[in-house]
This record gives sequence, C-alpha cells and structure tokens, in this order.
Amino acid sequence: MIRDESFFARHAGWFGVAFFLALWEAAARLGWRDPSIMPAPSQAILAAIAHLPPGELVEHVAWSLWRIFAGFGIGAGAAIALGIAAGWYRPVALVARPFVEILRPIPPLAWIPIAIVWFGLGEPSKIFVIVIGVFFPVFTATARGMASIPPVILRAARTMDVDGVRLLIKVAIPAAMPDIATGLRIGFGLGFGVLVAAELIAAERGMGHLVMEARQLGQLGVSIFGIFLIGIVNLIADRQLARLIGRTIGRWHAL
Amino acid sequence: MSPRAQAWLVPAAVLAAFLGIWEFAADQGWLRPIQFPPPSRLAGSFVDLATRGFPQGITLWTHAGITVARILAGHILAVALAIPLGILIGSYPLLDRATSPLVAFCRSIATLSLLPLALVWFGTGEASKIFLIGYGCFWVMLSATIGAVKLVDPVLIRAARTMDTPQAEIFRRVILPAAAPRLMSGARVALGVGFMVIVGAEMIGTIRGLGSLIMEARTFYRTDITMVGMLCIGAFGLAITTAMAKLEAWLIPWQARVEGQQK
Repeated sequence: MIRDESFFARHAGWFGVAFFLALWEAAARLGWRDPSIMPAPSQAILAAIAHLPPGELVEHVAWSLWRIFAGFGIGAGAAIALGIAAGWYRPVALVARPFVEILRPIPPLAWIPIAIVWFGLGEPSKIFVIVIGVFFPVFTATARGMASIPPVILRAARTMDVDGVRLLIKVAIPAAMPDIATGLRIGFGLGFGVLVAAELIAAERGMGHLVMEARQLGQLGVSIFGIFLIGIVNLIADRQLARLIGRTIGRWHAL
Repeated sequence: MSPRAQAWLVPAAVLAAFLGIWEFAADQGWLRPIQFPPPSRLAGSFVDLATRGFPQGITLWTHAGITVARILAGHILAVALAIPLGILIGSYPLLDRATSPLVAFCRSIATLSLLPLALVWFGTGEASKIFLIGYGCFWVMLSATIGAVKLVDPVLIRAARTMDTPQAEIFRRVILPAAAPRLMSGARVALGVGFMVIVGAEMIGTIRGLGSLIMEARTFYRTDITMVGMLCIGAFGLAITTAMAKLEAWLIPWQARVEGQQK
C-alpha cells in the first residue's frame, strides 16, 4: 500500500514540519514584526548564534544531561529494587505501601521547596527532585508487573525445583520486565519535565536556566532556541532509551 | 488475624511507628526543627493554615480554590480545542501522518520551559498560568483524541455509511461515542499533567496558589507549612482525580462494557 503512494504522502511528516515553520516565519515577520515578542524561527537561530557561544551551549546541555542521568539512575534503580522486593516479600509491601500511597499523589515539583530545605541550593536538591519524579511511576509499574505474573509460570518453575531467590531472579523478574520497561519510559519522560522545571526555578546552569536567563536578558530568540533544544534532546534521549530497552528486554518479549 | 484486617492494621502501625520515631528524634534534638519539624507541630500548622492562613489572611482553602480554578480553566480550554482538532486529524490518515512528528515534538517540549515565553506574551497574571496548563493538557489530549479516533472499529463507520448516514452524523453519533472512553481517560491524564504543571508555574511570581504557598513558606523558614502544604496538594490531587473518575462513570456508562470486552 505504501509503495504506491506519492512522494508527498511518503514524506508527509517533513512537509508538515516545514509548513508549520513557514507559517510561523511568515506570521512573525509579517504579523507581529517584533522579534522581542515573537521571534521567527530564523531570528531565533540567529539570536542563538549571536549570543550563545558553542562552549557555553555544550556546558548547559552537559549539566542537564548529567542531572537527568544521575537522577534517573538513582530513582529507577531504587524503584525497581523496592518494587521487586515489595512484589515478592509481603512484609516489605506492607511496610512500603502506606508511604507510597501518601507520597505518590504529591506532584514531583511540589518537592522542590523541601528539597532546598533538606539539601540546600546545590546539585543534590535538583537530583533529589528528579529522583522523586522517576521513582513513583517506575515503582508503580514494577509492582504491577510483579503482581501480574501468571501463577502458572511460577508453579511450573516450582515443579522443576526452581525455588526461592533463583525463582525470583530466573523467572519472576524476567516475567515482570515488560511492565518495568513501560515504567522506565514514563519515568524518564516525567523526570525530564521535572529537570527543566527545577533548573528554571533554582539553578545557575542547565538548559532550563538557559531559557529563563535569556528571557531576563531580553533575548527571547535565545529562549525559543533553548525550548527547541530541550524538545530535541528529550526526543533523542527517549528514542535511545527505547532502543536500549528493546535490545535488552525485547530479547525475551516482543516489545 | 484475617488478611483484610492485616492489610489495614500493619500499614497503620508502620505509620504510627514512623511518626513516633520522628517525634522522638526531634524531641531529642537529633533532627534540626528547621529541616524536620516534629509531627506534633504539623497538626497545629494545619489548623493554623486552614483558619488564619499563610501568608497572613490567605487560607489553605483560598490557595486551593485559586489553583483548582486555574487548572480547570486551562484544562477545559485545552480539551475544547483538542477534541475537534484531534477528531479531524484522526479521521484523515494523510493529515495524521503530516502532523504526527509535529505533535510528538510539541509533546516532548517540557511545558514549564515555555514559562519565559508565557511571561512575555501574557504577563505575570492569570493568563500566563492558564496558558501553561493549557499547553501541557492540550498535547496530551490531542494525542489521546487522535489515537481514540483511529481505534474506532471501522465496521461501525462502514455500517453507518451503508445506511446513508451523513458524515457529520457519523462524527456525532458513531465516532464520538465509540471514542468517548479513550477521550475520557485522555482527559484524566491531561488533568494530572495540569496539576503537575501548575505547582511549578505557581512557584514563580505569585503569592497565591498551592505551589506558591509551599515556596513562600520555605522562604520564611516555615518548613512545617511547606510539609503540610505538600500533603494537602497530594490530597487535593487525589480528590480531583477521584472526582474525574466518578464523572467519567456518570457521563459514559457504556465504558464499563467496553473495558469488559477488552479484558
């Protein structure tokens, strides 16, 4: 079906993006005519070239990436470990559940003030908020994955004398993996949003800070450039995570 | 002990033990009260917040009312725009393919990064907050609507066509009801997004609203108010999503049947 389609149909997505950019460019140049309120895409790029040395740009991106990787690593690691433990050992579940139920409805950004009180204004407080953002979706998904393992699989393994920790590692955890994978993707997306917000509200480096600072300096074009940069970095990171998950977990499951 | 009783008693005991240890540690001076105010003080702070308010005169209920009004305004605006647009995009495969990279990209832009733009375009008042919530809700709702329309059983549409149903009628009587359950769950997810966004948006340039409440309290070293405020935000969030689920069950009673079929 796709083979017979026209050139336009096959590249419809690119045409859509180009059309949108052209529309914006025209609207900004012919309609608003004021780049300090509504810069055109071309003006945003020129502003970024003029005001943003490449070294500084790389530094902002690097800081954001380091924060998201640290926060995601800690949050996801803790959530998977605790989720598996709670799914396998009932006492752990009974102890963990009240805390999770009370804290889960609190949006991650609401942890920013208390993070500053606990950890000061430095890196740990930002990473902590990202950890919170990542933890709950991954924990929830892991617990759901552990709870929905078909009992038949576990019983079958038991008849073959697989028991205890070996049953957990060899059978239960792989069976829960697809849910964990979904949780990781959701957690990463949430963590990324939290990262930007944390950098916006309290940081002196990073992509979120770049966007906010450019506005304070009156360089709205640089702000827009930064916003697009955030979107692109997020998309690329999400794709890479999906590929990584596909290569590791997808070996067992058709993901 | 029956498993049912156990499921309630053990968590209650765990919480009580946790609070007891916290109280004891604070009492002994092991925890700095500025970082971990004792739980016994939090109850007083809650009463204070609910009656006298923080900052002076703005009670918890005022903050919550303002926040909820902002969320609802942004959410309703976003849903009202996203549903017709999403139905349009979802009904024409070529249009869907032309817009899908754009939609994916706009969704992946962190909503709060638009805050500087919102400030320039709409100032520091209500409009900029409603814009941010609206943006966050809109793309979630648009994706949900497009997906919902694409998943409508084509047999239903073809059956309607064989009965010479006009296109507008097919939209209204076939596609919309069939897509409704997914639209509702999209609206619920969007509401959650709005709730996330508002807390961040309120931390900058305002003193009214739940987000600013906890941030202001921190500035004045009232960690007890910050903690109580966080718990209240969680409680309000839970209340809103529960209300939404109730509304869903009331608006589209046929959803239970659809979900039953899926299982």
